[in-house]
Amino acid sequence: MAERTIAVIYFAILGIITTAFGIADILVTAGSGSFAIGILEIPDDLFRGGWGGFIVLSAGLFYLSGIRNFENIHQFSKIIMGSILIWIMAGCDIFAMITESIPGGEDGSWFNTLDGFLGMYAPPYAPAVLLLPFSLMVVYYIFKRKQDI
Amino acid sequence: MKQTIEQRWDLIDKIAKQTVTFGEYTHSLKDAIGELTIKPFTGIPIAIAIMYAFWSIFGSFAGTLFTDGFMVKIFDGHFLPWMQNIFPGDGGWLYYIIVGDPLADNSFEAFGMLTSGLFVAIGVVLPAIFIFYLMLALLEDMGYMPRLAVLIDTVLHKIGLHGYAIVPTILSLGCNVPGVTATRILETKKQRFIMMTLLAIFIPCGAQIGIMEEVIPDTMGWVLLYLIIGYFVFGYILNKIVPGKSPEFLIDVPPYRKPMISNIGKKVWGRIVGFFKVAIPFVLLGCGIVNVLYLVGFIDWVGNILSPVFVLWFGVPEATAGPLIAAFLRKDLAVAQLSVIEMTPYQMISAVVLVSIYFPCVATFAMMIKEGTKEMLGALAVLFTVVFLYGGLIHLIGILLGVA
Repeated sequence: MAERTIAVIYFAILGIITTAFGIADILVTAGSGSFAIGILEIPDDLFRGGWGGFIVLSAGLFYLSGIRNFENIHQFSKIIMGSILIWIMAGCDIFAMITESIPGGEDGSWFNTLDGFLGMYAPPYAPAVLLLPFSLMVVYYIFKRKQDI
Repeated sequence: MKQTIEQRWDLIDKIAKQTVTFGEYTHSLKDAIGELTIKPFTGIPIAIAIMYAFWSIFGSFAGTLFTDGFMVKIFDGHFLPWMQNIFPGDGGWLYYIIVGDPLADNSFEAFGMLTSGLFVAIGVVLPAIFIFYLMLALLEDMGYMPRLAVLIDTVLHKIGLHGYAIVPTILSLGCNVPGVTATRILETKKQRFIMMTLLAIFIPCGAQIGIMEEVIPDTMGWVLLYLIIGYFVFGYILNKIVPGKSPEFLIDVPPYRKPMISNIGKKVWGRIVGFFKVAIPFVLLGCGIVNVLYLVGFIDWVGNILSPVFVLWFGVPEATAGPLIAAFLRKDLAVAQLSVIEMTPYQMISAVVLVSIYFPCVATFAMMIKEGTKEMLGALAVLFTVVFLYGGLIHLIGILLGVA
């Protein structure tokens, strides 16, 4: 029972933060500017900020709508779907970093230097990348659910 | 031994008792997630996320990593200068056709058969087509495509089609040729006509999308938006005016499955081989023919004659006549040509939309003839009307927004 309450509180907080990030993404893109604070950066591009923001917002809403009656398989699947959307967004951002880090640049050598390569992975990060580690908690509950069955 | 009906039913009962297990079916997590992807309220955000991933990976892999990262360096830094030095007869007509502009410092501007032609085909289109077909095969083998068909069924009914129409539509985003063939999965003549017409006009192929990603990355979204709006608006109109039936469809949605690498590999390889058998000859031929037409003055002549239509009605420079002729052979080639013509960003958007909607490439055209001459002629009549109306409308929108 206590563990269930912890899970509900955890995904409720994650849902609220994810929803807030999604709204911030959309608002920053609508204002045609970029936003950076600490290790967080919201890009000023319609594709990642606007379209991507809608997906982060949807992930937050999936979390929030899934926390009620958490044990029900259909409700739990919404929590999983929230995490899957975060993985899609973060996966695309990380893949973009990888593809940018390999070539050596327009006038440089064929491949990037080690410093240049590692520098591409330095912060700031997009909201979905920051949310990624927290979204992985769902994997624990998937396995736990399998064990309980 | 001949059995009576009762004996047959007894036999069926015996077999069923031994093979069928009865009981209450409990939903698994996979079932529950599968249901989420079909219900509109939850399925639409998921579909939007999958499309986002599709285009994000497409752009990062084909554009950033391969074309910008390596192919531009290979072609502009090594292959183009080498061709310009080694090919004899600098300034002659053969040099112009094969190598192109001797002063060009990049493969887009050279526009020779073996410079721009090979760069477009191998440097830009090959990585784009590879990643497109790889992701399409993954979505097919995972079992997502039937879910997308169910999800989009209601919307496609508004334009006289049904959920299955997503198959030719998405295939056409790779290449219009298999897309036209795939219209056969639609049941009625009306549906096939609407689908074929919309594919030929509003669906850019993977090669064209790849080249747009390379030459107009900032405005590509607007081009695609105009095409999507056109797809639905003209689809709605066609549904109203074309006689015939648009039946419902019944689909068995399979469970999600883990894709098999061997299957994915076979599919991607088969599609790439098929695509390149068509693409490389047409790209090279397209460069050659357009260069010959430039040399004999035909394109300047067409540009002059159609100048009022281009400049006053469509709001684009008359120099776009050349790319529009090239578009009949290859649309990717035409967009590459447009990139070196001086124009405003809005004119570029209009010109690329015009190249997309103006005429199907010759390979698609041949496939349309194969599907029925009457349908093809009808599609062409619609196409010319749409080009004229939609091209003018885009110009008008630009004037009203103060950007044209």
